[in-house]
Amino acid sequence: MKWVSKDIETYSTAKEYVDTAVIPIYSVSFGNEMKQSASNAEFITLLTTYLERQFTGRLLLVPPFTYLKSDNQEDILQQLKKWEENIETSEFKHIFYITTEIDWKNFEKELTGSLIWLPSLPLEHLNDSQKISMVESQVKQLLSLFTQKWHENL
Amino acid sequence: MSKHRVSRRQFLTYTLTGVGGFMAAGMLMPMVRFAIDPVLTAEAGGDFIATPLKIKDITNEPQRVDFTFEQKDAWYTSDVTNTAWVYKDEQDNIVALSPVCKHLGCTVAWGTDKAHPDEFFCPCHFGRYTKDGTNVKGTPPIAPLDVYPIQEKDGLLYLGKAEPKTKEA
Repeated sequence: MKWVSKDIETYSTAKEYVDTAVIPIYSVSFGNEMKQSASNAEFITLLTTYLERQFTGRLLLVPPFTYLKSDNQEDILQQLKKWEENIETSEFKHIFYITTEIDWKNFEKELTGSLIWLPSLPLEHLNDSQKISMVESQVKQLLSLFTQKWHENL
Repeated sequence: MSKHRVSRRQFLTYTLTGVGGFMAAGMLMPMVRFAIDPVLTAEAGGDFIATPLKIKDITNEPQRVDFTFEQKDAWYTSDVTNTAWVYKDEQDNIVALSPVCKHLGCTVAWGTDKAHPDEFFCPCHFGRYTKDGTNVKGTPPIAPLDVYPIQEKDGLLYLGKAEPKTKEA
């Protein structure tokens, strides 16, 4: 389910079935790294949108967690932890973070949810159908990761 | 045949009526068109979308077909790719099923559940559908999978907008 009023309405009537929250994470930077930052964001957005389509009925795609890359990492982590607390209290059993930032790997242990790190693929030179098949193959690998996690806590 | 002479008065009357008639027609035509516009609109058959699948390639085994069309979300237009599961049933009729689970909208796939290889399976809450799209009792879905109306054109399969199946399980 997406973060739109119609989906949230469905969510509130079917809470017991939606137990997974997915949070895309990407940083924003200006100057020289602007383009890379945009490309990462584009990739993560496409990927999570497609993922949401596959698992509409079980996961809620939360708006992306964004931060300035130049900011203090400890502060950013505290911020994300606050998100985590809030999501956990609203009855989500599984939390997944999806990011292309390698820095998050260092903080993986401090987070309750599962962190999924993917290398960002440059999509700018691809046409639409190539983009789709590329993202699709990435998501396919994620799908099994999700189902595995669900099976663990049945 | 007697020579019929046209008087100046008659000549002017004829020309003026002629020119006036043309002008009136020029003004009235668009108005009439506007008035009867709904009758002139093309048949809604344009809603069928071409898929890359050839009719002769359709088998008894459901196969996945992706097709892309333009979707308008408020003022934002985007290309959307939809999927259908297409196969031929025992009577050689082509069946195209929507992959959207009737429970909460996940994407179902054919034969992905090892225990039930001949059924559609939804990975979210383990919903199952038989080959004709009927929901299996005891699993979360409460209705059969939607069906796409189909059309054949130039040997290719064309799909319309998915509709709920009328027959209940």
